[in-house]
Amino acid sequence: MNRYAVFTGSCLSLPAIEYLHKANLLACVVLPDGEPNSDLLQLQQWLKHQQIAVLGYSNKDDQQLIASLDGLQAQKGMVYLFRHKIRKDLIQYFNQELVNIHPSHLPDYRGPQPLYWQIRNGETTTALTIHKVAEELDSGDIGYRVDIDIHPFETIKCLHQKVAQTLPYLVSNFIQLDKEHKLAWHKQPSGGNKLAPAIEHVDLFIDWFKHSTHEIVNMARAGNADMTCAVFRFSQSTFQLIQASKVDCTLSGIKPGTIIELDKSVGLIIKTSDGAVKLDIIGTQQGCFDGYRFAMLFALDPGMELESGAGNDFRY
Amino acid sequence: MEKPQLEKASALGYADPHIDELLKHSIRTQLESLLKSKVTTEQRVQLLQKSFVEAMTLVLSDTQVTHQQLVKAFENMYDQAVQSMALADLSQEVLTRQYISATGLVMSVHNCKHTIKDVYRIKGYARGIDQAIRGKLKNNSTITILYPACGPFAPLLLPLLSYYKNSQTFDSQQIKVILVDVQPGAVMTLKQLIKDLQLDDYILQIAEADATQFTPDVAIDLLVLEAMQHGFTKEGQLSIAKHLVKFLNIDGWMIPQNVSVKGMMVIGETEFNQQWKNVEYSHSMNVNNQAQQDRVELGEILRINKSTLLAMDELELQDGVRVISANQIVLPTDVDDMSKRILAIYAHIDTFAEESVGQYDSGITNPKPDMTFYVDLKPREVEHTHFVASSGDTVQFYYQLSGLTGFVPVKI
Repeated sequence: MNRYAVFTGSCLSLPAIEYLHKANLLACVVLPDGEPNSDLLQLQQWLKHQQIAVLGYSNKDDQQLIASLDGLQAQKGMVYLFRHKIRKDLIQYFNQELVNIHPSHLPDYRGPQPLYWQIRNGETTTALTIHKVAEELDSGDIGYRVDIDIHPFETIKCLHQKVAQTLPYLVSNFIQLDKEHKLAWHKQPSGGNKLAPAIEHVDLFIDWFKHSTHEIVNMARAGNADMTCAVFRFSQSTFQLIQASKVDCTLSGIKPGTIIELDKSVGLIIKTSDGAVKLDIIGTQQGCFDGYRFAMLFALDPGMELESGAGNDFRY
Repeated sequence: MEKPQLEKASALGYADPHIDELLKHSIRTQLESLLKSKVTTEQRVQLLQKSFVEAMTLVLSDTQVTHQQLVKAFENMYDQAVQSMALADLSQEVLTRQYISATGLVMSVHNCKHTIKDVYRIKGYARGIDQAIRGKLKNNSTITILYPACGPFAPLLLPLLSYYKNSQTFDSQQIKVILVDVQPGAVMTLKQLIKDLQLDDYILQIAEADATQFTPDVAIDLLVLEAMQHGFTKEGQLSIAKHLVKFLNIDGWMIPQNVSVKGMMVIGETEFNQQWKNVEYSHSMNVNNQAQQDRVELGEILRINKSTLLAMDELELQDGVRVISANQIVLPTDVDDMSKRILAIYAHIDTFAEESVGQYDSGITNPKPDMTFYVDLKPREVEHTHFVASSGDTVQFYYQLSGLTGFVPVKI
């Protein structure tokens, strides 16, 4: 029986691992190299508890890993949420039987942060796409795909969870079709203009002149309370924008970033380049507040301007 | 001594749910003082009236009054006035709502309440209004005064009316006042305060309305305009003035009679820090000669009075922004350190006759630095909000009436 080695570093892969384990299709789990984070530590604990064989990926070379995989008779491989790029030797070992699960409609959103960028760009659907691992990242032939709706309120964590819950369905169908030789592998279409690069710190700053209302709302939603939370600056301090909503605004002659309304019921409203946005929830070092309470505590008043970018002025 | 009225006393207690928690927090000192002194309602009203009369007596006095005396009297007036505000049953919604309307910033009642402590603004206006009233009543048996965007305390008129009533200078047959404010919380407070000051007879109307839309039912003899912030920015002062000046009698007066807005290039550190290091408080009398000489004055960029308002033409830009054309200035060429200077815009307000509110006398006449205006220097990162010019350039100023009001420079 062909058994799988699952390459992952996140507990979000557990539904797939659990499915393979129960179906007696799991040979081992290969964990990433480097400093473990809390997610990885939790995964290690769970695997140990389940007495699942664990192998370590080495940044240096693949020979020892290949020998161990061979010893465990892992002839097929499945990659999901794994931080390393798979090297040629390992790809060759699996002989076309190493697949990656990528959460997007490939070829769009190739890269390490597909779900974040899909929410940020306001996509309404995503997909779990199984493709062959090739030397070029996220570019191999596609064998199977499941579409998933993105709810307009979903954050990165919601979507990761939802995608994780779809994994057993995806994996079971894929294995069944593979068994029946019904997988129609096909090349990825050309194009793929939308990318999902690693998130740089500068990507998280709201530029009131550059970003539209829709983009600001989605920036906040994509990051939410995560490490990738959208941030804005006021009076040389930085605050997290955890949730924002679009607000209609017909006012003219007001700079983007200007506070246009503060009201207990309506909240804290900021002018944007194409309308206005309500800052629903704001994260500070002192805690999380709704816009109204944040403004009252931090002395923000309509007429004041939130900052865009670095904006240091050395003259005064 | 009269027994304190339990209902009213509890209305100012900490446990009373009717006083909003935010207002209670910001005026707790005044409330504590009231509770400790255990005054009756009648005594509180007397103290309120007395505080208003005393402040105006000092302001209208031609004898020397010290800064400390004035500050103390105005603090006392504030302390009493906020107690009336506490009794007006304002919800947090009406207390704190602040927004930008189509014609400018509308301040919250919570933020407006401090205006009554702005000693030299009120002094400059009250002395001017007093003379204007006296002037008008020489030839008229009764006059009507319109005070738009007056805020919760109408501080330019209610203290003066209290003084007139107490000194029996002018009665309610001679002076009729229309107060207008768009904030429901301001109107609620005004009603309570006027009741407490027993000035109802002087009040013709209290209108909850946008002053840029308000149409008075009667012709106006005196139009009192106050709504503005430093640098003549943010609030809808010009839109209000432009709209309401039409309702002045042909011989009606606008107070202030003239507002002159000027520009200057200053070294920020000298103008805003060093100048004030060795003085007790900022005021036009305390400006530093050296700092004044260091300024590079650019001249007047806008003049506002009854004549200029009536002649003012609005332009509408493509994006719906309404502007009026202000003055042109030429940036001087003989200033070595121009690149280190920033533009500051300030207003001088001639309220009436010889009375005025000069630079630094009040929050509304403090020069406002404009950090987006660069001369002989390029910002590190040019944004489209930056204005970059060179010495010798001619700059045309426009005044934006829409949204957040203020000056817009354009290079000719």
